[in-house]
Amino acid sequence: MKSYLVKDLMVPLSEYATVPMGSTLFEAVLSLEKAQEEFDHTKYKHRGVLILDQQKRVVGKLNHLHALRALEPMEDESNTIRELDQFGFSSNFIRQLRKQRRQQAAPLEDLCEKAAQLKVEDFMHAAAEDEFIDHEATLDMAIHQLVEEKLPSLMVTQDDNTIGILRLADVFAAVYHAMAECTI
Amino acid sequence: MHYLTGLIMKALKELFDRIVQRVNINLRELDYDIHPLVKNIVPFDQLVKFYGFYGITPHHPLDFEFLHSNLAGSYFLGKCRTINSILYKSDIRGDELKKKGDVFQYQDYQILVSRDEGIRIEDSFLIKTLVHNFSHDPETLEKFFIRNTLSTHYANIHGSPTDGSFLGPFATVDLTTMNDCVIGAFSYVQAGEINHLHIEPGTVWVRNLDNFNFRYQYPLDKLSHYIHFTAGKPPQGLFMDFMEKHKKAFQRVFETVNIAPSVTVPQNASLDRYAVIKPKSLISDNVLVAQRAFLQNAWMGVGTNVQENCYIINSRLEGFNVTAHGAKIIETDLSQNIFVGFNSFLRGRSKGRLSIGKECIIMPHTIIDIKKPLAIPPGHLVWGLVTCPADLETNSISLKELTKVKEGFWRGSMFFEGNGASFVTAFRERIHHILEANGAFYDGIKDKGHAQKNQNISFNIIQPYPEGKLKGLFPTIIIRP
Repeated sequence: MKSYLVKDLMVPLSEYATVPMGSTLFEAVLSLEKAQEEFDHTKYKHRGVLILDQQKRVVGKLNHLHALRALEPMEDESNTIRELDQFGFSSNFIRQLRKQRRQQAAPLEDLCEKAAQLKVEDFMHAAAEDEFIDHEATLDMAIHQLVEEKLPSLMVTQDDNTIGILRLADVFAAVYHAMAECTI
Repeated sequence: MHYLTGLIMKALKELFDRIVQRVNINLRELDYDIHPLVKNIVPFDQLVKFYGFYGITPHHPLDFEFLHSNLAGSYFLGKCRTINSILYKSDIRGDELKKKGDVFQYQDYQILVSRDEGIRIEDSFLIKTLVHNFSHDPETLEKFFIRNTLSTHYANIHGSPTDGSFLGPFATVDLTTMNDCVIGAFSYVQAGEINHLHIEPGTVWVRNLDNFNFRYQYPLDKLSHYIHFTAGKPPQGLFMDFMEKHKKAFQRVFETVNIAPSVTVPQNASLDRYAVIKPKSLISDNVLVAQRAFLQNAWMGVGTNVQENCYIINSRLEGFNVTAHGAKIIETDLSQNIFVGFNSFLRGRSKGRLSIGKECIIMPHTIIDIKKPLAIPPGHLVWGLVTCPADLETNSISLKELTKVKEGFWRGSMFFEGNGASFVTAFRERIHHILEANGAFYDGIKDKGHAQKNQNISFNIIQPYPEGKLKGLFPTIIIRP
């Protein structure tokens, strides 16, 4: 089996959807769409946007789930409802409550207004230390890190800079191709 | 930094450190350190200034044991034991404890009480705290314990065996066994049994398993105007300012040995000699005014009771009103049969009075603070923060409507699940029991309660070592008939 390194499989940062801190949800979604149109590296599409600080370092990620969660009605209220479980309210009661609150909130009605107001740093996933991997690391190491930390992707670094992203889909594809070459 | 130097009050300092450590050990799973909150909460020199005192009556047991404790300014009645504890200006009221031979009903069980129940306070620091009622835990019927616990200003531990817990200022735990919990400022919990919970400030939680569950959460930004508590400072806010403002009025009653009541008290009513009565107050038949209560221009109708740390100012209570521990009623008119729950704060204005219709239930820890007149219709349940008619609309429901609730409803920050009729019945039964226990229905022959039994209490005082290593500690004292 070919011994892959992380740098062989990663998507370079230049081909990935990125936005600077301070961008709005609207700008992040546009950036993602643009990157998907331009990028035809594999059949796997972009599923997220990277958030960069002023030094172009990756400080967070934003995927479909984060974006949709940002559109959910009032986080404070969600927390209050979540707390009811601790106070012994039944799951049926909480479900009914959520349903009614959603109907009242109608989050998609003012979609454009919300998307133009929400800042990415308020709802992005902040990148943690274990989400970075060196570009010279082996595929074995990358698989271990993805599996151990249950991550959809890793940020690839060279020295102190983020140079790309290693996606679970690309890692799986490499493993699949290696398997296909097996003679059993 | 303690207010101590060298060996003076060494034993008291060690006792304080020991209690804080024991509470922290119990709260380690919650990652909660009480030390920054309490290290200067009561200056040590305050603990040697005040005497402790206990009541003697023919109606209550006389059974006290005080071991290695400080009891500054605290009051004891009934059967109580303190060990390795500091009780500062607290009331330990053992006049509702179970007696040998009583039968305790718990679900389908009828459990015989094998000996007189006693309050046992161990390794705890209680600050201006009220301990009352009896243990509602079927596993510990004869012992109402409070151990490894620190409670702060004006907390209530009511019928609630407590272990390894911390109560913030104006917090109440009611009819609940509590292990290793933090109860935030001005939170009220009546939940049967709770373990390892951190209850945020301003939570009102009443749960009866299988029947109903009520929870309200105060907006913290608005609650902080009334009470807030942060490390390095004593509790602050309007509630503390209010208590501080009236503190001086109590000095005279605590400094004078023989004090004559300043109002006429009917033979079937009780006015505690440690209550403050200001002019133009009236006390009717079967009224109970407990110690540390404050009346000023207060019209107290038949069968009304005012419990510890309650303030009735420029108000009229028509009769059979319950003012539970710590409640304040100012510039307010109450019709008959109204329950005002623990630590509630009802404040009208001289030109904007609050009036409450008959048979209303004001939930424990309710704040009604208005600037314009407000009338609460009869037969309503009111909770939370009410400052205007719109708040009242959100934070109230008619009892008639509530009894129709079968599954649940929610309004604003209040959530209710369960059977509304059960909730109303439970409250009404409890209110009736409180009135009965306080002697509101006494007819001259039967139904005697606290108002009749607590009329002639003798008070003895006890004092600590005045100096040296043991300064502030009370000697071991055993008091029995």
